[in-house]
Amino acid sequence: MAFAIEFFLRRISQGLVIVLLVAFVIFTLLRIVPGDPIRIILGPMTPASVLEQTAKDLGLRDPILVQFGRFVGQVATGDLGRSFIRGLQGGSAGGSQDAAGYNPESRASVAELIGTALPYSLQLAGLGILFALLVAVPIGMAAGLRAGKWPDRLGLYVSSLFVSLPNIWVAVVLIFLLSAKADLLPAIGYRGFSYTIIPAMVVAIELSPVMIRAISVSVAANLGEIYYDVGMVRGLSRWTMIFKHVLRNAAVPLLNLFGAQMIGMLLGGLFVVEYIFSYPGVGMLTINAVFQRDFPIIQAVAILASGALVAINMLVDFTSTTIDRRLKF
Amino acid sequence: MTSSTAQAEIAPPSAADNQRGVTRRILARAWSYTEMKLAAAVFLLLVALTLFGPLLIDASATKMSVADKFLPPLFMEGGRLPHFLGTDQLGRDLLLRSLVGLRNAFAIGVVSVIGMFILGCAIGIYAGYRGGWVDVILMRLTDVQMSIPVIILAITILGMSRPTAVSIIAVLILASWPVYARVSRGVTLAERQKEYVRAAKILGASDLRIMVRHIAPSILPPIAFVAVLDVARMMIFEAIFGFIGIGIQPPTPTFGTIISAGTQYLLNAWWITIVPGVLLALALGSLNLMGGVLERARNHILQGGE
Amino acid sequence: MAPQSMSKPGSPLMEVRDLSVAMRSESGVRPILNTIDLTVMPRSVLGIIGESGSGKTVLSRALVNWIKPPLAITSGSVRYGGRDLLALPEEEMAALRGREIAYIGANPTSALDPTVPVGHQILEKLRAVAPQLSRQDARKRIIDTLDAVRIPSPAKRFDEYPFQFSGGMMQRALIVDALVSNPKLLIADNITQPLDVTVAAQILRLLRDLQKDFDTAVVFISSALGIVSEIADDMIVLDRGHIVERQPVNALLEKPEHGYTRELIAKVPKIWTGAAEPPAPSAQNVVLDVRDVEKTYEVRDRNAIFAHRKVQAVRGVSFTVRRGENFGIIGESGCGKSTLSRLLSCLEAPNRGQILFEDRDIATLRGKDLLALRRRFQLLLQDPYNAIAAHSSIGRTIAEPLLIHGLVPRREIRKRVSAVMSEVGLSPSLYDQLPVGLSAGQRQRVNIARALVLEPELLILDETLSALDQVEQAKLLDLFETLQARRGITYVYISHDLAMVRRVCARIAVMYLGRVVELSDNETLFASSSHPYTRALLSAVPTVEEKPYKTETYLLEGEPPDPIDIPPGCSFRTRCPFAFDRCAREDPRLTLLSDGSLSACHLEGSGLPAVDIAGLQPVATVAQTRPVAP
Ligand SMILES: Nc1ncnc2c1ncn2[C@@H]1O[C@H](COP(=O)(O)OP(=O)(O)O)[C@@H](O)[C@H]1O
Ligand code: SF4
Ligand SMILES: [Mg+2]
Repeated sequence: MAFAIEFFLRRISQGLVIVLLVAFVIFTLLRIVPGDPIRIILGPMTPASVLEQTAKDLGLRDPILVQFGRFVGQVATGDLGRSFIRGLQGGSAGGSQDAAGYNPESRASVAELIGTALPYSLQLAGLGILFALLVAVPIGMAAGLRAGKWPDRLGLYVSSLFVSLPNIWVAVVLIFLLSAKADLLPAIGYRGFSYTIIPAMVVAIELSPVMIRAISVSVAANLGEIYYDVGMVRGLSRWTMIFKHVLRNAAVPLLNLFGAQMIGMLLGGLFVVEYIFSYPGVGMLTINAVFQRDFPIIQAVAILASGALVAINMLVDFTSTTIDRRLKF
Repeated sequence: MTSSTAQAEIAPPSAADNQRGVTRRILARAWSYTEMKLAAAVFLLLVALTLFGPLLIDASATKMSVADKFLPPLFMEGGRLPHFLGTDQLGRDLLLRSLVGLRNAFAIGVVSVIGMFILGCAIGIYAGYRGGWVDVILMRLTDVQMSIPVIILAITILGMSRPTAVSIIAVLILASWPVYARVSRGVTLAERQKEYVRAAKILGASDLRIMVRHIAPSILPPIAFVAVLDVARMMIFEAIFGFIGIGIQPPTPTFGTIISAGTQYLLNAWWITIVPGVLLALALGSLNLMGGVLERARNHILQGGE
Repeated sequence: MAPQSMSKPGSPLMEVRDLSVAMRSESGVRPILNTIDLTVMPRSVLGIIGESGSGKTVLSRALVNWIKPPLAITSGSVRYGGRDLLALPEEEMAALRGREIAYIGANPTSALDPTVPVGHQILEKLRAVAPQLSRQDARKRIIDTLDAVRIPSPAKRFDEYPFQFSGGMMQRALIVDALVSNPKLLIADNITQPLDVTVAAQILRLLRDLQKDFDTAVVFISSALGIVSEIADDMIVLDRGHIVERQPVNALLEKPEHGYTRELIAKVPKIWTGAAEPPAPSAQNVVLDVRDVEKTYEVRDRNAIFAHRKVQAVRGVSFTVRRGENFGIIGESGCGKSTLSRLLSCLEAPNRGQILFEDRDIATLRGKDLLALRRRFQLLLQDPYNAIAAHSSIGRTIAEPLLIHGLVPRREIRKRVSAVMSEVGLSPSLYDQLPVGLSAGQRQRVNIARALVLEPELLILDETLSALDQVEQAKLLDLFETLQARRGITYVYISHDLAMVRRVCARIAVMYLGRVVELSDNETLFASSSHPYTRALLSAVPTVEEKPYKTETYLLEGEPPDPIDIPPGCSFRTRCPFAFDRCAREDPRLTLLSDGSLSACHLEGSGLPAVDIAGLQPVATVAQTRPVAP
């Protein structure tokens, strides 16, 4: 118990620092790379004086640290701010209608925008992970249990093949084959659950090779441990050893891989896939926001993404220490 | 005294001797796979093609020609020489465009992986060796870095200026060094406990010398093998950047721009998208297969196999 | 060859006939075991002795049909219960393993799943072999057996994880695991090898008792003659895959028939009978002066929030070493020897106290001064495989210190290194080779050469010779002696090997729980030690000679307490057979006794049984060391 309390206190405080740092890095980055959001908000024809006035009103001319302090204060009260570009209806409003000035009230709240998009992304991520597991677990297990034999080679081929397929290309090919040619599944946009299937397949193809490798390596490594061999001489059956001990031990590195690498990959994959399929999730929201210099959305997504990553890593590490008591954090 | 007479007979290699020439043994083990030889052959062939193809094929990767547009590959009806793999919507030779794209992607992949390998491993070895608060800070920094998705970073940095090969490489290094930092730090933590490090210290070696001369040579080769896989990964990123429009700008061909342009003509001229993709997948596949075999060979040897 | 003695009536439990095992590799087939014949009688202990590499482990595994590629059984049979185990289908063999035939190996700490509590794993096995037993009953039976092997607080230990067990505790737990299903035959392969002598002695006695209680036959395999002879009824001597001799244990020790057996017996070190005169203490100036050093580590406490616990690894150690002297430090593992060597070699700084090298406190040295110290003051490490890096050539490895210290112009390096190489017995032709394929002894020579090339004045040897076999050890000790004569080097030997310390050290400090409990000259320590702990250590040494300290009188119970919770009073009192009430109240100080030794015990040498080493027999037969089996 004491260990759990100390662990979470420690990790949550470290996690807050990380999220704050990520927010700061993104915040600063957005403001130092070229590209002025005001021009995009107000349109290219706006007079310079109006641009400057709006920028001042929005606080974009204050020193970065001041801006950041203000932003953190805002977030601390639970307010993620309003989009620069997107109108209340969600569509992007940038352009001429605001040429006279900029009225923040007419813009959508970032929290709502993300709230609407998030369920779609979660659905896509969930289905993608499910597909990936369906492929990777059987192949990876078989490869690990029979290292050096044909299932092992199969694992090598499948994973080498899948990592070699760029997701953009797989997406286009699947759209072409399954949607355009065979007309089996819909592809672009979202008008029902079936629109998630092809994007989820693309996500799964990206995730599964890493899983296959990790599963087969850690299962094979545990079969090489002394305890596995000794267990059978002690009188336990091979399957008892595999299901009760090998899988348990293999879970630790797998969990870590999931925390450290897969979540990052998943996130990156989602962004690209949503963009290609015009899938209305957080990824598409963000990519458009980056192109449009819609700072509030980008900052909010960065905070949420790093927060999620920190939380997942914390849980992963905690689970690992409960499985393997030797680990220290 | 018995031992002043030199007895230099070398004992037969014993199983306990797991330290010997690890790198050489990994390479030898990897080479014993047929897959390795096959992948190396395909890869070398592709490299040769990218180098000499443009000299041999009488066409241009960038010159447009309305008369030749939408030509299918040779193996389809209507294809014609010198356009082995057909032409695109502007009549440019697809094979040549793919080869040039491949060459650029490969260069970007290799250079960025070397960069992230050096940067990441330097930081990782330092953190692992020093330990304490230096380690905590550097590792939390990798956490920060890893929680910013590559694509966001890339669009933010590349999206607003005109992306060049150099800025693309910089972004890739910036986004991916933490993986190397973590791995090398983990191994260094274990390595620093080993007796040879203690021995070096006792002999009076400075910390820098221990890191550079002792730890680095023994931990880096196995990490370098797996970096082969990352070259392929970086090439995919390069393609994605091109696809989104933040890669190397036209008219220089890149896989991303070829594929993205081709999507508009998918129904009538599918080969514009599919054919270059197959070529890219072939290149990546050979790299990944080599990387995969090296990885297994490494695991096999490090787990005490022969 | 003498026929297998029939010390017990009845029909044999296991009969091995004509068993051969070979290793298949690309370079051909290499025989490992050749036409082995042996018989195991019910309720007897068959001892198998052989040097490392003679095929003991392969034989033990072949007995349970557990041979894996690249090894293969090429001929023979292992008959058990009317069946040939080697011809048995895998399922039937699996039904015997762990049920009728149990096996314990040399690797206690990695024998169980590290992520599951020890008790639960034994429970899992017991329920697998005896499904009719209810969970509660099985649990109770295991806790009772854990208690029987004298694991303290067994109910609590039941739920603890393998890494929380010491090697000795783990080996006990594995004995429980093996015996809890009442097997007819137990095969024990080198089970005392990784353990301290004190713990090994306990395990031996335990196994002997249990073997009688459980009516189990035991095949006991070991590379230490002194250990096998303590437990076996009959003995088999294995030499390079051949059985060269078989005899009842007494006959084997008294009248060995085969030359190899005689050699083996001669190699067992002698401590009291016929030992060479130990070196005399030196009268020169003090080079190393250790004053009351202390080292404490902090470890995180899992049971309290933000709390740390202190591990007191070294608790106030003082001693001096004079120039040209051989000083020894001995003690069980975990007593703080390695920590002390790290302090001495300036890898870590003590929390308190000083270490003076020629009157300068080494903790205060920095930069150039520290480098100069390192040159004169070298530490040789235990592990010959990990102490030299695989990626540099031998010459380069030895030259490294010269490059660090910039002592010699580059073009003279090769000459210097070659000279040192021949001095330690390495051919200079190895200069450009990688350490690939060097034997442990040769590697240790590389190590020694690397330290010697700096021409140090003080060498600390932390278990430097422990990984080597007897022959190689003897050669290196000769080498050290020669070097001492030639260069006047001072040595500090840190070791758990009492026989080696007996042979080379003039003065010896005995450590227990981070303290020096006795410090005397060699002869006084071995012949009339005044500390109960030292006597206990000496009583547990595996030798074949008769011992002045009887195991029955001194055998230690349990293991040293955790250095986190050191008991108040005398820290040895939890295991001391002579403890009395004052010991719990007062911590004894190191006091000078009349025989010139320093001892930390309230008894001050009086009240311990008298010792007489004059009449000891060079080869003790079983009747002298333990009660004869009825
Ligand atoms: N870095 C450390 N952190 C915590 N405990 C340690 C550390 N080093 C040694 N110890 C503990 O100090 C005690 C003495 O250890 P050591 O000096 O290695 O003994 P020896 O060499 O005699 O076996 C042991 O209980 C050990 O676990
Ligand atoms: S002081 Fe007491 S407990 Fe300690 S060694 Fe002496 S007799 Fe034993
Ligand atoms: Mg030690």
